[in-house]
Amino acid sequence: MHRYKFVLYRPLQFLPVLFGISVITFVLVRLIPGDPARVLLGTKSTPAAIAAIRAQYGLDQPIWLQYFYFLQNLGHGEMGKSILYKIDVLRLITTRIEPTLTLVLTSVLLSLIIAVPLASLAARSNGGPADHAVRFISTFGIGFPPFWLALMLIIFFSVRFDLFPVSGYGETVVDKLYHLILPSLTIALSLSTVLMRSLRTAMIAELKDDLATAARARGMPESIVFWRHVMPNSLVPTVNLLAVNIGWLIGGTVVVESVFALPGMGQLLVRAIFSRDYMVVQGVAMVFACATVLVNFLADIVTVAIDPRVKQ
Amino acid sequence: MNETLLSVRDLSVVFAGEDGPRTLIDDVSFDLGKGEILGLVGESGSGKSLTCRSLVRLMPSPKLAITSGSVMLDGRDLTKAPEADIRAVRGRDIGMIFQNPTSHLDPLMHIGDQIAEGIRVHRGVGGKEARAAALDILAQVGFPHPARQYNGYPHEFSGGMRQRAMIGVALSCDPRILIADEPTTALDVTIQAQILRLLMELRESRGLSVIMITHDLGIVAQTCDRIAVLRQGRLLEIGDKRDVLARPQHPYTQNLIASHPSMPERQMAAADTAYPTTLKTRPLVEIDDLHVRFPVTGRRLFSDGPREFSAVKGVSLQVMPGETVGIVGESGSGKSTLARALLGLTPISDGHVTFDGADIVTERTKALRKLRRETAMVFQDPYNALNPRLTIGAMLAEVLAVQESVAKERIPQRIGELLDLVGLEREFADRKPLSMSGGQCQRAGIARALAVNPKLIVADECVAALDVTIQAQIVDLFRDLKQRLNLTLLFIAHDLAIVRNLCERVVVMYHGQIVEEGRTEDVFNAPREAYTQALIGAIPDIDPDRPLVSPRGGDALTEETSGLVTDEIS
Repeated sequence: MHRYKFVLYRPLQFLPVLFGISVITFVLVRLIPGDPARVLLGTKSTPAAIAAIRAQYGLDQPIWLQYFYFLQNLGHGEMGKSILYKIDVLRLITTRIEPTLTLVLTSVLLSLIIAVPLASLAARSNGGPADHAVRFISTFGIGFPPFWLALMLIIFFSVRFDLFPVSGYGETVVDKLYHLILPSLTIALSLSTVLMRSLRTAMIAELKDDLATAARARGMPESIVFWRHVMPNSLVPTVNLLAVNIGWLIGGTVVVESVFALPGMGQLLVRAIFSRDYMVVQGVAMVFACATVLVNFLADIVTVAIDPRVKQ
Repeated sequence: MNETLLSVRDLSVVFAGEDGPRTLIDDVSFDLGKGEILGLVGESGSGKSLTCRSLVRLMPSPKLAITSGSVMLDGRDLTKAPEADIRAVRGRDIGMIFQNPTSHLDPLMHIGDQIAEGIRVHRGVGGKEARAAALDILAQVGFPHPARQYNGYPHEFSGGMRQRAMIGVALSCDPRILIADEPTTALDVTIQAQILRLLMELRESRGLSVIMITHDLGIVAQTCDRIAVLRQGRLLEIGDKRDVLARPQHPYTQNLIASHPSMPERQMAAADTAYPTTLKTRPLVEIDDLHVRFPVTGRRLFSDGPREFSAVKGVSLQVMPGETVGIVGESGSGKSTLARALLGLTPISDGHVTFDGADIVTERTKALRKLRRETAMVFQDPYNALNPRLTIGAMLAEVLAVQESVAKERIPQRIGELLDLVGLEREFADRKPLSMSGGQCQRAGIARALAVNPKLIVADECVAALDVTIQAQIVDLFRDLKQRLNLTLLFIAHDLAIVRNLCERVVVMYHGQIVEEGRTEDVFNAPREAYTQALIGAIPDIDPDRPLVSPRGGDALTEETSGLVTDEIS
């Protein structure tokens, strides 16, 4: 189990990474033009009221001191109070994290369900009609932007056939998943094409590789050659690609959550940006960044589990 | 020959290329007897691998097709058998092992499971039974601890053990015929001897018939009963080993035999060149108690294992100007590290290296400038060492321009001279590596080395990737250049026979240390150290009457063997 020791000490390496992330998000958020106090009070605010709000939220302090207070709060499990929602950002985020997390999980699952069989089909008929068809579809998938796809799916499935809800989120688990079908499909249609291309290329290479030849030379039927030898060896590069894409996807939920009016973190982020709710923006950005780090860590564990040669 | 087991008649294989069909295998016929080892000899591209792949219809490309002929096994024609039948033949009747066990084994699967897989599919037995059978096979192919090693992954084993595992996989279903495609080419000479002996033992114990594909006539002479010589898809001659080796009929076979490094006339060549008696002059290279250590990565913090790996441990060596020194040793013996440290390409941990009076450690800048201007390296893989996007002329011009030793307007002329020196036509200046053969590329690589007007050339396994006849040509080229240009040559090779041909002095390395050094003839004729004896004894001689392991090296080799076979998973 020597190879898994990195699981213990890798998190230590996250500390400087997380520190860097917090500094960058903290500073960048404050570079956004506009004043949260002014947004909060509206157009009829007096300079005195604005100053009072600024003092209340510590916005009149120098930026390094603001960062110091931020760290201090973080030590107490708080991220500062949202200007708009008047509650602590961390608590605010915990109420919004579930729809986003579920959306990402269902999207990834759905993309794998689409990508793995299609990639296998394409690779095994390399150059044949199935291959051409899959490549044709995947070109479309890459070409269509998610916001457009989302609208098309709504028009087709919800408006015309009334199969799925147009927007919103449910109460029960089943209802929630039902509401997530179209948003997940939107993401999965884009993500699966990326995975499919990588997987197909890897599989075609592995099918011609020496180890496939050796398996055929000992009389293995093509199904064993493919599923037991080609498939695991093709997955290794795709796992890392998937991790990178999930990182991108976590940020990408912003668009999909807006279109489908899902009460997730993406939606929270958009609203926070418009109202200059610094604390929320930096909180959400940090959570997104941490999630990306975590996903890559998980991908490293999966890679080690698949490939005994890998040492982290 | 015993009773015929496999009979190949008029086999032709055609490649459907874009510019018309090309015949790659042309009317090849041969028989394979029961319990016989047939050597299939030829250079790369001669069609020897393709012939064997065609026997079980394992074509490397869908554009290849058997157009005529038959392959008869048990009264069945394998070229016409349905796909399901041929799949049953593969592995079950005809097993195959390959040159590179690393790429042919599945890196993600336990080696034991790879052996068991064939047993389960072909014999239709359950997991437990297959596992027991696989354990038995592991023991037969020389794994000392089958139960523990069953769950090892290929990368955890040495090259020799991987090839044993590959043989185990091929034998899993008890085939009657084993096709061995260059099974030892990627292995060190002592390991090669072990694998060849294993194959011969298996032939004895199982009555196995073997088709041995090889470019090395020494291997054929040592292991095979009959030889078939292939060239450009045609069978030039086939016959009893002794007949073919003693009285080759075809001029090509004669040339092939003459090119073998263990032939007496080739061995004379090195002895002819006088051993330089210039001991009073200052050595060009002085290595004094050199240590090179690498940090061991990937096991920090929670590990109590060694943090450093010593690749070179206290090596001292002097090389005189104009001398040709061969450094031999198995992979991992530190010979390449030594060369890289000497050229300033690897940091030195301890000790001193002086090149032409400049110390690499204390006068680093000066020494490196000298090294870059007066030394050059020739690499193992001629294709990878040349930039595929540059013509040979552009590549040489680049070196000449950087070195500024030749006036700009003289560069084209100098390129011509360099090509002349290495025996390439001047038109090669306009060609790119991909349109050239391996031998031509290596000549271009040597031309690039000569472009700096070096005092010292370090050649690291520079003929290992080439065919025997090409090897012989490159070695001749080095010998010629050495005399004409008064070059000092450091020639690193695992192939002892080539070093014997070319070098005046030889240094034998083992585990990062020099175990023996001396005049080539002395070392080869009367090796003092047991390791050197084992190394020399393991060279397959082209004379069938000089068996693979000479008596004097026998003990040392078994000792060596036991050390390597216990190579376990850590």
